[in-house]
Amino acid sequence: MEAAGEGDGQLMDYNEAELMAILLSREVRDNEISACGALSHIPAAGLLLAKELHARNAELIILNSVFNPFKTSRQFHFLAQRGELGLFFVSGVQIDRHGNYNLHQLGPDIDKPQARFPGGYGGGMIYYCARRTVVFRTEHTRRSLVEKVDYISAAGSSPPDMIRLGNPSKVVTPKANFRFDTDANVLRLDTIHAPWTLDDIKANTGFDVGNGLAVVTPVPTPDELHTLRQVIRRKMIDTGTYAAWAERTLAAA
Amino acid sequence: MGVPYVPIFGLVGTDLLKRRDDMVIAADPFDSTKKSVVAKALRPDVAIFHAQVADRQGNVSCGYEVEAVMLAEASKHVIVTAERIVDRLTEKESTGAFIPSIHVDSVAHAPFGAHPAGCQGLYGPDKIHMREYVIASRDDAAFAAYLQTHVFGVRDHADYVERFVPLEWKQPAKAMGS
Repeated sequence: MEAAGEGDGQLMDYNEAELMAILLSREVRDNEISACGALSHIPAAGLLLAKELHARNAELIILNSVFNPFKTSRQFHFLAQRGELGLFFVSGVQIDRHGNYNLHQLGPDIDKPQARFPGGYGGGMIYYCARRTVVFRTEHTRRSLVEKVDYISAAGSSPPDMIRLGNPSKVVTPKANFRFDTDANVLRLDTIHAPWTLDDIKANTGFDVGNGLAVVTPVPTPDELHTLRQVIRRKMIDTGTYAAWAERTLAAA
Repeated sequence: MGVPYVPIFGLVGTDLLKRRDDMVIAADPFDSTKKSVVAKALRPDVAIFHAQVADRQGNVSCGYEVEAVMLAEASKHVIVTAERIVDRLTEKESTGAFIPSIHVDSVAHAPFGAHPAGCQGLYGPDKIHMREYVIASRDDAAFAAYLQTHVFGVRDHADYVERFVPLEWKQPAKAMGS
């Protein structure tokens, strides 16, 4: 994994996964139900970190872990349909300017995909139902952040007469945060993570990010980093929640 | 179940919805100014699935697998294989995902009948076998060979269990969960 700030001569003492886990944790609100899907190491760490720091009464759902109250997918489906999910974390292979994400397939011809991914039905449903969805992507490049996705697995916006309970909230990458503008139905550059610059973001983003004032993302605090590396790393190992990943990725003391 | 369709909030604007003719956008029948997706109900002619325990009357208990109950309620005919067959399910066994015999056409005794997948509470998936299955499924010839070995080339279920279920699963002293 590329260390944050590498190549810039500036030494950062956290890696990209730690940065993203901390950024995601800041999106979690107290007294809400927040969830992430399967194969979601970074959001799982972010959810647990938030509960440890500022969202003590948050209810967490980490699918395929002990932090999951459900026995069947039907139960999760109807919790979402009832609009009880405050926040959902999801990733997409491609994310586009209009907040659509693709977790199905790549290639210009929809009938002849060049690569296929596990994307199914859930994401396109939850995008409408969770009050806020934060889409994360561990790669910030022109192939992952695109003008238009090859296949829409989940739609950022919807017709006005369609029943929709929630919307995209943010996109988080190792370089920047974008917020979703629900009036214009487009992603707007929100903040840039040090040491990256607006020019870096422009060079690595496949859609127009504008020329606005580049606000710097607040860096991880010592408290966030310490809790992530000590308390959350231990908790993930002890509960078998992406234990091998936590042990390897979240820096030991 | 047996309902004509099920409403769903979501999916509008996706390519998934565009490519499915069993899910359409419809007005809310109680408030025509609002719309959502409705999915056409599946009405299978026959449902076949595996359960933890069934009794001689055809009552079935499948742990937490509520989806199996919905499947049984939606299908015209239901055939169940079970790890155990008992004379009569106890009250305790009849809770959770319970299917009354009125929905069930027949039950068959098939220990390890979920292999290479798992049977909740009894054994997990056979990960080594699953890996072989995934590799075989990458092309038609390899998959045909897989089917020949594991399906067409097998005499009966007992023969399959003898040849393909890991030996340690069959020793009752050892825990089968994983």
